[in-house]
Amino acid sequence: MDVKELIKELSLLDGPSGYEAEVLKVIEKKIEPFVDKVWYNKVGTLVAEKKGFGKGKLGIFAHADEVGHVITKIEEGLFARLEMIGGVDPKIMFAQRVRIHTKNGVAKGVVGVLPPHLQKEEHRNKVPNFDKIFVDLSCSELGKYVSVGDICVVDMKPVELNGKLCGKAMDDRAGCASLILAAQLLQTLRNYQDVYFVFSGQEEVAGPGAVSIAYELKLDRAIVVDVTHGDVKVPQFVQIKVGEGPAICVGPSIDREFQSKLSEIAQKHNVKTQIEPAPGRSGTDTDEIQLTGSGIRTALVSIPLMYMHTPVEVVDPKDVEETARLLALATTVE
Amino acid sequence: MIDLIKKLTEAYGPSGREEEVHNLILQELEDHIDGYKFDNVGNLLVWKTGSSGKKVLFDAHADEIGLVVTNIDEKGFLRVESVGGVPPHSYVGHRVRFSNVVGVIYVEGETEEERKKNFTNLNLDNMFVDIGAKSREEAMKLTPIGSFGVYDSYFYRNGDLLISKSMDDRIGCAIIVEIFKRIGKPHNTIIGTFTVQEEVGLVGASVAAYTLVPDVCIAVDVTDSSDYPKSFKRHSMMLGKGPAIKIKDRASISNRNIVEKLVETAEQQKIPYQMEVLTFGGTNAAVLQKTRSGIPSATVSIATRYVHSPSETVSLNDVENTVELLINYAGKGV
Amino acid sequence: MYLKELTELDGVSGNEQQVRDFINQRIKDKVDDLRVDVLGNLIAYKKGTKGRRKIVLAAHMDEVGFMVTNIEEDGTLAFSPVGGVETQVMPGKVVRINGKTIGVIGYKAIHIQDKESLLKPLSVEQLRIYIGAKSKEEASKQVKIGDYVAFTTAFDQENGRVTGKAFDDRAGCSVLMDLIEKNDRYEDDLYFAFVVQEEVGLRGSAVVVEQIHPDIVIVIEGTTAGDDPELPEYQWATHLGDGPAVTFMHRGYVVNKKIYEAILNVAVKYSIPHQAKRRTAGGTDAARFARTGAGTAAGVVSVPSRYIHSPVSMIDLNDYNNAVLLLQKILEEGEAFAR
Repeated sequence: MDVKELIKELSLLDGPSGYEAEVLKVIEKKIEPFVDKVWYNKVGTLVAEKKGFGKGKLGIFAHADEVGHVITKIEEGLFARLEMIGGVDPKIMFAQRVRIHTKNGVAKGVVGVLPPHLQKEEHRNKVPNFDKIFVDLSCSELGKYVSVGDICVVDMKPVELNGKLCGKAMDDRAGCASLILAAQLLQTLRNYQDVYFVFSGQEEVAGPGAVSIAYELKLDRAIVVDVTHGDVKVPQFVQIKVGEGPAICVGPSIDREFQSKLSEIAQKHNVKTQIEPAPGRSGTDTDEIQLTGSGIRTALVSIPLMYMHTPVEVVDPKDVEETARLLALATTVE
Repeated sequence: MIDLIKKLTEAYGPSGREEEVHNLILQELEDHIDGYKFDNVGNLLVWKTGSSGKKVLFDAHADEIGLVVTNIDEKGFLRVESVGGVPPHSYVGHRVRFSNVVGVIYVEGETEEERKKNFTNLNLDNMFVDIGAKSREEAMKLTPIGSFGVYDSYFYRNGDLLISKSMDDRIGCAIIVEIFKRIGKPHNTIIGTFTVQEEVGLVGASVAAYTLVPDVCIAVDVTDSSDYPKSFKRHSMMLGKGPAIKIKDRASISNRNIVEKLVETAEQQKIPYQMEVLTFGGTNAAVLQKTRSGIPSATVSIATRYVHSPSETVSLNDVENTVELLINYAGKGV
Repeated sequence: MYLKELTELDGVSGNEQQVRDFINQRIKDKVDDLRVDVLGNLIAYKKGTKGRRKIVLAAHMDEVGFMVTNIEEDGTLAFSPVGGVETQVMPGKVVRINGKTIGVIGYKAIHIQDKESLLKPLSVEQLRIYIGAKSKEEASKQVKIGDYVAFTTAFDQENGRVTGKAFDDRAGCSVLMDLIEKNDRYEDDLYFAFVVQEEVGLRGSAVVVEQIHPDIVIVIEGTTAGDDPELPEYQWATHLGDGPAVTFMHRGYVVNKKIYEAILNVAVKYSIPHQAKRRTAGGTDAARFARTGAGTAAGVVSVPSRYIHSPVSMIDLNDYNNAVLLLQKILEEGEAFAR
């Protein structure tokens, strides 16, 4: 499987939180050949199951949803208002093309912006917020069908930047890709533990996607694969580098022994990794998965990514491959 | 049904003190349910058994916002803190009802300037309650520290508009009571939960579905109606346009399949409805959906003007249409 | 009473090993069963003479502190708080990293600060831990990113008061240990839950309910006291010397009315000094217990403690002893309690 093509294909799919079904369908097709069976739970989480030759139940999680928008109101003259799904900085919204999923198909829209000629001081100094943002639907034949509750995403086709990949929804389709690749690797490596590849929804809005299945499967261990801020200086924190392998998280949400074991495996097989401290919450599904039922031993592996929650998220496909290798290796031991 | 709404909204039931509301509901439902119980945290659960083997849960919270006494001075004046999201400006010069005494709330200020400042920056820290006590000892007897109070308001009908305190969420309670009264022998088992402590953090609903494990949950709650002067510009909800089928708020995204089923039901039955995207707030659906291994959940809302004020205003037509929609949904649902 | 031993141990949220091991050693022969769960909670069990109800007494082992989040080129350590630590209590303190390396949180001398920085509140970005290392390389031999950092305050007792770190909630842990040491049997089955990660979001307690399915939980806390000259009396949450505090409501939870009143009734019945906690800010594991699984009726009894979440907090031993007494009487009530 070509890793770049896989990531690009997943990035192109539209699936904001709660509306991931189409994304999951594609993932299902890709992973099905590598596992024993695939199924969905009651709240729409996709599970790909592969029995091991030993014992223990390991869940490997990535979320299939992305941040996005929903139409809140239709204004006169074919304009619409937006609310974000997940955390989106309104500053990146101006002059974007958007795609709106209506009952009658995908309508196009443009997020309008006041030209500099018409701006006054008060416009220039204001921080944009969603109360000021509108979508112009007059450029779309389907614009008249747009209605409250329709799902909207920024229109962005992935581009390649010196070997790195840039596009929307890399958070966490890059993670999804690493799970599919790991499943493929298990055709040659043999997994000791029963492995459940979990593609969940609604991570960006703290929904039931991941915790529901963690509870249902009564897992012994869970590895969550998500993304983290790469190549940017966060005050007080060590800088995570894009292209230097996945970051293994340490902190209260993580089981210390399981994390050390994972780091050992990485070292033994020359998988490049970095260490990421999370003194409070990790901000991923890990935080809640750890607390399901009587508790689950967790680890968090993050793919370094630039410009998180914007349409130009950047990842290095090499990091995705290294993540896949680490995941596959983790299933082979006790 | 108007009598029922009057009784329920005028009842005393701040978070953690919902007994009066629960007792009223039980009296109303006496001949209309197959059973009831109170769970560990005090939620009232009622049910009517169907033949399909499937279970639909309708939830409304029994509690309302309020105040709690935290200190009493030597002259018998009370200091209070809020229970749930109480806007202090709604209280100035108004009355607060404790279980056995009514008090007046006012604002401190030793100079005109200070008074003015306190009025513009209203804060419970510079407000007090006068229950007419002459000493700390007398006040301690009437309202010991830890006594809970609510708006002293009354029900009023103005044509199609119904006005009272605690429409949030006694209107939901009334709708569920009415469903049980009107439905004969249900196809699916219907569970009603009248949950506690929603306003302080969705406490009751976090555990309400745990014991009976329904197949779907629908929270019936109020939402912002944006049809008064200078109301929230991104909201489209209005009084009189029918039940609001929620797409999302800040705490949850309604299950897509339930939303589609609700819309289909409304259209088939020619019941007016509106779609809802709320840019803040949350309902019990946020935690109901995370019960055990996940339960598909959604919210159906009643558009309400002036939420969390002593004069929350709803449309009787919307209430009737919500009852009809939910009865029809309960018939097929799941 | 184990306040000295307990508060001198390091147990920042997520790294409670030292505290757990200490408690485990001291109580293992005095209980019927003892286990450490997946998250690291230590749960001791004492069978009841009737055993028709399960009561959990819970205290958290963790304390607020820091984590090393970067090692600088000059060998100093950048750090971030674990749990709620105010920046103002950080500078000029001795800390211990990973249970062994000693460091200090230094700040530049008053002489070389300009006027502006003298008047500005500190931010954690301006602070580093100095361990005496000359370079990143040298520092990396002793510490690594992700290591936990705790304050190192020695315990002191004088004048009926004790001072030290982490009374929130080693005071609760010590109360539980005292109750276990009394070695009495009560009517109800008892579970003593020493939980982890309270300070980072009531996390350890989240997995206790599904293991036990308790009927009642009582959380024992070291809670905020506000009785200092800077705060008007009506804003104190609790104060020292008038007995343990009983909570009617805090963030995210109104205490179950039956439990709240039952605790008060026991205090009145045995004339045990007590006070209502008079502010609703702050939360405890009670909110988590109420919200988890099938839900649990949870109450809170606290030892008032001044200056919590700092390296030096203070409690009154009378309050501590009365908290032990109150809980003992609650247990002696047996099935009559909160019927």
